[in-house]
Amino acid sequence: MKRIALAVVCLALVLAVLGATAGAGPRSYTILLSMKGPGSGNPFWAAVERGARDAARALGVNLVVLSPPAETDVQAQVAILEDQIAKRVNAMVVAPTDVSALNSTFDKARARRIPVLFVDTDATWPHKVTFIGTDNRAGGALGGRFLCQQLQGRGEVAIITGVMTTQSIRARVEGARDAMRRCGLQIVAELPANSDRALGQQVMEDILTRRPNVRGVFAANDLMALGAAEAVKARGRTGQVLLVGFDAIPEAAQAILRGEMAASVAQNPYNMGRFGIESAVKVLNGQTVPKRIDTGTTLVTKQNAARYAK
Amino acid sequence: MRVEAAERAAPGVGWDRLRAALARMDLLLVVLLMMAVLTALQPQFFLTRENLTNVARQIASNAVLALGQLLVVVTAGIDLSVGSVMGLCMTILALATKAGWPALASLAAAVALGAAVGAANGLALTRLHLPHPFIATLATLNVARGATYLLSGGVPISGLSPEVRWLGSADLLLFPGTPLETAIPVSFLVVIGLYLTGAVFLRRTPTGRHLYALGGNPRAAQYAGIHTARMLVLVYALCGTLAGVAGVLLAGRVNSAYPTAGIGAELDSIAAVIIGGASFFGGRGSAGGVFLGAVIMGLLRNGLNLMNVSVFWQQVFIGLIILLAVYVDVLRRRAAQVEP
Amino acid sequence: MSEPARVEMRGITKRFGPVVALQSVDFSVQPGEVVGLVGDNGAGKSTLMKILTGVYRPDGGEIWFEGRRVHFASPLDSRRLGIEMVYQDLGLAENLDTVANLFLGRELTRRVGLWRLLDEPAMERRALEHLEGLRVELPSLRLAVERLSGGQRQAVAIARATAFAAKLVIMDEPTASLAVAEAGKVLELIRRLRSQGVSVVLISHRLQDVLEVADRVAVLNRGRVAGVLPGHGTRLEDVVALIVGGLA
Repeated sequence: MKRIALAVVCLALVLAVLGATAGAGPRSYTILLSMKGPGSGNPFWAAVERGARDAARALGVNLVVLSPPAETDVQAQVAILEDQIAKRVNAMVVAPTDVSALNSTFDKARARRIPVLFVDTDATWPHKVTFIGTDNRAGGALGGRFLCQQLQGRGEVAIITGVMTTQSIRARVEGARDAMRRCGLQIVAELPANSDRALGQQVMEDILTRRPNVRGVFAANDLMALGAAEAVKARGRTGQVLLVGFDAIPEAAQAILRGEMAASVAQNPYNMGRFGIESAVKVLNGQTVPKRIDTGTTLVTKQNAARYAK
Repeated sequence: MRVEAAERAAPGVGWDRLRAALARMDLLLVVLLMMAVLTALQPQFFLTRENLTNVARQIASNAVLALGQLLVVVTAGIDLSVGSVMGLCMTILALATKAGWPALASLAAAVALGAAVGAANGLALTRLHLPHPFIATLATLNVARGATYLLSGGVPISGLSPEVRWLGSADLLLFPGTPLETAIPVSFLVVIGLYLTGAVFLRRTPTGRHLYALGGNPRAAQYAGIHTARMLVLVYALCGTLAGVAGVLLAGRVNSAYPTAGIGAELDSIAAVIIGGASFFGGRGSAGGVFLGAVIMGLLRNGLNLMNVSVFWQQVFIGLIILLAVYVDVLRRRAAQVEP
Repeated sequence: MSEPARVEMRGITKRFGPVVALQSVDFSVQPGEVVGLVGDNGAGKSTLMKILTGVYRPDGGEIWFEGRRVHFASPLDSRRLGIEMVYQDLGLAENLDTVANLFLGRELTRRVGLWRLLDEPAMERRALEHLEGLRVELPSLRLAVERLSGGQRQAVAIARATAFAAKLVIMDEPTASLAVAEAGKVLELIRRLRSQGVSVVLISHRLQDVLEVADRVAVLNRGRVAGVLPGHGTRLEDVVALIVGGLA
């Protein structure tokens, strides 16, 4: 029993230290940023967080960043939001882990007059202040049009899809599919690889076996595109199959520079965080913000990949 | 704690009972200390009605899963499928509601599905003679999750019946208008009711006793004429049933059946069972202890959220608490062996 | 003797494939008699007892119980007649207390509403009576069995076998793992059962224990009865000679 008591006291001390560092500084507004996953470990969320921190510093607001451990952990995000609502944060900038499962939590925020802004992923909750994020459809179309142009609208192409439960992935696939169909490319395969690198490689091997004439592939994220690049390299066909990914993560940019991938579509996660905090402050100050804020997409090819490769 | 009442009513308080009571006091002490610490650190937020009802609601689905897990662990088994089964039951609940079934019928369908999947686990273990429940339930974990994606098309289904919403997210006002007025989440009352029933079942019924015997020494149970295979099927079926109930509570709380619901939840339920003092070798563990285990996990997460601490720390702390809980148990057992 | 034998096995034969485990074995136990059953490993002791408890069915021969011919389809059948077995591994749930073990599978209950709940006071009372009748002393009835000594556990296992009007108790190596003092207590317990009219079959490698307590000693050798000796006045060497001797 004494040991347990001791352990709890130790735990309390650690918590006290952590609490003291986390809650420092008397500032006017406290804004919660809750992403789908923690910034450490994922460059995308790290960029969102950086944007949010820069904006918070510039505007003099207190920023609290809390995210669930995994993108699938809806319950953890619900708990985070509920607990922070109980603490009366002034506004919440959220990348929801599910498009509808957090709606009743957002209702609670609304009842306490806490404005809710979405970044990256739009949820079905009708009372949001705004959605700040990539137009994934436009991004997918950008990637699709790149393949159209490179292949001059002729030949067979394939699509590697990701976790189709995710709205953003679906929009990318739809955008790419429409663009490629419109310019006359023939989509001969559309296979899922769960946004996973190893599965991407496996699916690409299958495509190369069943459809040896495929000349271009659009993958709904870079991890799958990188996996596919491995499969193409193993067959000694690097450069003959044009691979287009999405997200422009550093590894993909390096692959583009090496010629193993043709292109990727870059989102602008930094802007998501920055616009998120700026818009929240605007709302708190009684100004209006547009219902939809596009953070834009950029096509990353050999010409500009160096900027993304670091 | 009311949970212990059923156990304390048993006559002949010998050493073991005292020891068991003391063991539970440890956990109670931890809970009280945590609450004291959180009150001290977050005076204006922690003891508010809003926050406490939040914690109670957040605990609910894990507590219900953990109760089912306890039944299985008492027989020296493990059920890895509870999280997936919970997700599957939520999807069925939402689909039935969407198809216009009456609230009660869709509720029954979800819980019955949980029972059926659980029974399938038990039958796979006893009839197919799979070497360890780990395997049967690992298979079910995947099958149920896949079925959830297939049935839902991978998209969340929202719009559950008011009854389910009430179960998962409403508060019940006790003693309204008096100074004793308290708001208790309905889902938490469900948890209390299930745990009281579970405690009586485990400690005060022949079947409950047979479960402990089966976990302590399966041959002893066989010699005593206990139908061990039937027992195991029953236990896994009950565990699945409770996963269904947990699904109903979670769906009611978030008003949605989302396809990733319950991913990793089996590990949380196992953590609560271990922190609650149950043994993986079977034959040991109490409903009261596991309840406190779930409360400890809930308080820890709530406290860290209130203090704006990253979830990574929550994982670290829960891991440490599991280590500590088991280590204390090892110490206690070692002390017990020296005595007589 | 006007009373019929408690149990009489006549001409029991049992084959496992080509192996003859038992060949026309006759074996009987009178009411209130302690019979030692000895023999080398593989002599057929446990096969014979498994037939008596209904685990195996004999290929030939008859079993009579208190003057009636009986057929056992399962262990439950023999148990119903009052034949109980104390296994060498005791078959106790070590995480449960003595009362729970004594009544395991045969718990006393009372109805409370829709539930059939354990009647702990009644079980404890009857357990106490029974243990006092056998003069078994335990530190507490509510202590988990794993916290009892080896001899105390053996006593609990025997008490468990005799708690429900047992007429014949078969004990498999009850003293094998016990210190001398504890083994003495178990033998004392066997004598007390005899005085209560319970028949006992004692399987043991510790021949001095068998000779100390048994009324008769049956020796099996390679599936046949090598001899039946009186318990009193028989020398250890005579028994050993039958156990290891070649068949005449």
